[in-house]
Amino acid sequence: MNTSGLPLPSLQKEISQRKIDAYSVVRPKSIHTDPDWARQKGFRAPLAQAMMSTAYVSELMTRFLGAGFVRGGTLSMIFIKPVYAGDRLTVHGVVKEKRLEGDATRIVVEVWCENQHGEKTAVGTASGLQRPEPRT
Amino acid sequence: MIEFRPLTYETLKVGEEFVSDEHLVTPEDIETYAFAVDDHHPWFFEDSPFGGPIAHPTLLGNQALRLRHSRYIVRAGLHAKMEFEFLEPIRQGMRVRSRGTVVDKYERRSKPYMVTEFVTEDEKGTALVRGRFTQMLFRN
Repeated sequence: MNTSGLPLPSLQKEISQRKIDAYSVVRPKSIHTDPDWARQKGFRAPLAQAMMSTAYVSELMTRFLGAGFVRGGTLSMIFIKPVYAGDRLTVHGVVKEKRLEGDATRIVVEVWCENQHGEKTAVGTASGLQRPEPRT
Repeated sequence: MIEFRPLTYETLKVGEEFVSDEHLVTPEDIETYAFAVDDHHPWFFEDSPFGGPIAHPTLLGNQALRLRHSRYIVRAGLHAKMEFEFLEPIRQGMRVRSRGTVVDKYERRSKPYMVTEFVTEDEKGTALVRGRFTQMLFRN
């Protein structure tokens, strides 16, 4: 079956300061959890850690490929725009390529996160292994 | 005893190695992470195809990302790129540690960057996650 171009069900993520605080651990002089420090560094508010977007893509891929992402998955992302508390991200994936790897097929997915203004905040690729069903 | 110094592009050396402290992965870590990223997949709390609950594959990303804090005072930085290879599932009860090496530093559009390769291992030395990340340094 040719699944190239197949879109994955997207995810929506509401970014709150409380979630950023839980992810990054609240501390002074942090651009993620200290509003004054974030402003001093040129940001209008504390930023979500970019790494949070890798977690969203990991969720997208785990839902898609299950164990074949948890063991054998890859993820590569570039962070292109800040994400702030109050933003709503949509996480997208589209199957880009399939290639044989041993007894499995590696499925490569183009992934990106987009904010509520339709601006991409992170882009990249993720992949995982799809193994043949055991014969009974 | 570690003598912490402010991180600057000039003092950072390519080839420099970092090692994190050992961290015990607790159920609370997984619960907190699930809240932070709003991902409550049952594999993280019940059973999984790997036998027993596992953790989010990206759970230990911050241990790697903070490797430079083991030697430097880092006032701010921006994460520019991240690459992960998920080799083995992370499980609660594991004692994990990340090791990293600065493999490159460069300036682009007058902004300084550092590139680190890392591996995160369990207490037996089994590699769980491997990767590479690029961080922008602030000049002041």
